[in-house]
Amino acid sequence: MKELRELWRFREVLFNLVRRNLKVRYKNSVLGFFWSLLNPLMQIGVWWLVFKVILENEQKDYTAQLITGFLPWLFFSQCVLDGTACVVQEMALVKKAYFPRAVLPLSALVSNLVHLCLAFVVMLGLFTIWRVDFNVHYWLVIPSTVLVATFAYGISAMVAAWSVFYADVKFIVGNLLGLWFFLTPVLYPLFLVLNKQEVAPGAWLKSLISGLLPYIKAVYLLDPVTVGILGYRSGLLIGGGNPIVVTPDALVKPGMPPEAIRMAEAQAPILQAHLRADYPLSPYIIGAALIALATAVIGHLIFRRMARVFPERG
Amino acid sequence: MIEVRDLWKQYRRPHIKITSLKEAAVAFVRGQTGYTEFWALEDVSFTVNAGEAVGVIGPNGSGKSTLFAIIARVLEPTKGEVNVQGKVCPLLELGTGFHPELSGRDNVYLNASLLGLSHEETRQRYHSIVEFAELPEVMDAPVKTYSSGMVVRLGFAVAVHMDPEVLLIDEVLSVGDEYFQHKSFARLKQFKDQGKTVFVVSHDLFAVERLCERSLWVQNGKLIMDGATAQVIQAYREAVAKQEQSVGA
Repeated sequence: MKELRELWRFREVLFNLVRRNLKVRYKNSVLGFFWSLLNPLMQIGVWWLVFKVILENEQKDYTAQLITGFLPWLFFSQCVLDGTACVVQEMALVKKAYFPRAVLPLSALVSNLVHLCLAFVVMLGLFTIWRVDFNVHYWLVIPSTVLVATFAYGISAMVAAWSVFYADVKFIVGNLLGLWFFLTPVLYPLFLVLNKQEVAPGAWLKSLISGLLPYIKAVYLLDPVTVGILGYRSGLLIGGGNPIVVTPDALVKPGMPPEAIRMAEAQAPILQAHLRADYPLSPYIIGAALIALATAVIGHLIFRRMARVFPERG
Repeated sequence: MIEVRDLWKQYRRPHIKITSLKEAAVAFVRGQTGYTEFWALEDVSFTVNAGEAVGVIGPNGSGKSTLFAIIARVLEPTKGEVNVQGKVCPLLELGTGFHPELSGRDNVYLNASLLGLSHEETRQRYHSIVEFAELPEVMDAPVKTYSSGMVVRLGFAVAVHMDPEVLLIDEVLSVGDEYFQHKSFARLKQFKDQGKTVFVVSHDLFAVERLCERSLWVQNGKLIMDGATAQVIQAYREAVAKQEQSVGA
């Protein structure tokens, strides 16, 4: 309680730091603030080229799927990356002046929220051009963002504190994020993961993992970032419906005889029904929310405990 | 008012400097995880009343800056108590917290908020701050284009406009040119006359002599002497002279 009051007293610091972050980030580039939007757009453009044009992905609205998955992911990963730098960068200040240290990871979080909002506006613009349906279920974006933001705060506070003591934390975090990206359903549809019956290569790996596969899938679905992405997709693309969608196109392999194609198409709704029964979403959503909350609390406590010795160890 | 009672501060100095996880792992394997504990401050007690200007002098590594940081709430005491009544404002050296890419104006607002001023309060004082720093024509230019003297002037101007009841100054008295030094001194004198507390940590004995009627001599973490500035400085100088002789001999 006392901590919250203290934070409120220093809210202007937070506000000014956020303003500074936004101003500084793109100060020296010709295109200025638009870089923040151009970067993700170019990234999405590259994936579009690779997966849609070169690999001929037939999934419906693939580009819209990409964008709705990438926005929450970008927000999360950028928060964590900025987290590694937020205290180290301000060490001179931390050593000289008193202010609640939690202001630093919070400013990283809020700056990225602003970026997310801007990117969201651009995305709505693209949707207008493509005539993807607008509907009231867009509100789902808000709780999904809150979920991801809570989780991101916890992790970014943790890595912020550790970065003060070990310079290599930021490299480790960067690499782990690169890996984590592929463990969220940004580039591929979720049902491909949930539908996996066995792991293909290598006999020893197969025997090791196949027994654990259901648990791995459960952990996969409990990731707050994944749940956040599902929330975005559900709200923005399928009118608030269940985001486990099996597209027949994805079951069709190139060079199949027409008969097999018809069978695959008929099989899709059955598979979809099975997956939805096997993975009821509400327990996973509640689980992810609890994980996000616990991460935020633990991250904050770690940060607070270590913040007391920042000025001595930096 | 600043009240320091039985203040102890312990630091841990690791035997080897560890800055990466690899080094930490190597140190762990070799069993070099030890550190030396030492006291940066030992049983320091004093009271500074409102309207008093007190200087702290002493050689490098004596614990002056640690004392300063504890009073500014940056560090926590290991033992003992520090009570500071009234709004504290540390004078940040050389515009600490100024961001080179931002304009002077943005930096003033950022720095003022760090020192506890609201946007509205800063807005009211903005003109006076710029006036004091004498930089009206460059406030919209990024701070990286300023000379170091200009940065210092701006930082000082922000700090003295905070309306602090307790002003903490760490080694920043000799900033700016001769003219600005006079000006800042006059301002600090004015503070004192208004019944505010000024707490100075400095190597600059002349500055302490001019500003403070009372001084603390800190050495090896202990409070050696507490009294009238003239006497404390004389005693300190004598001790330094003695040390020089013994080194020379």
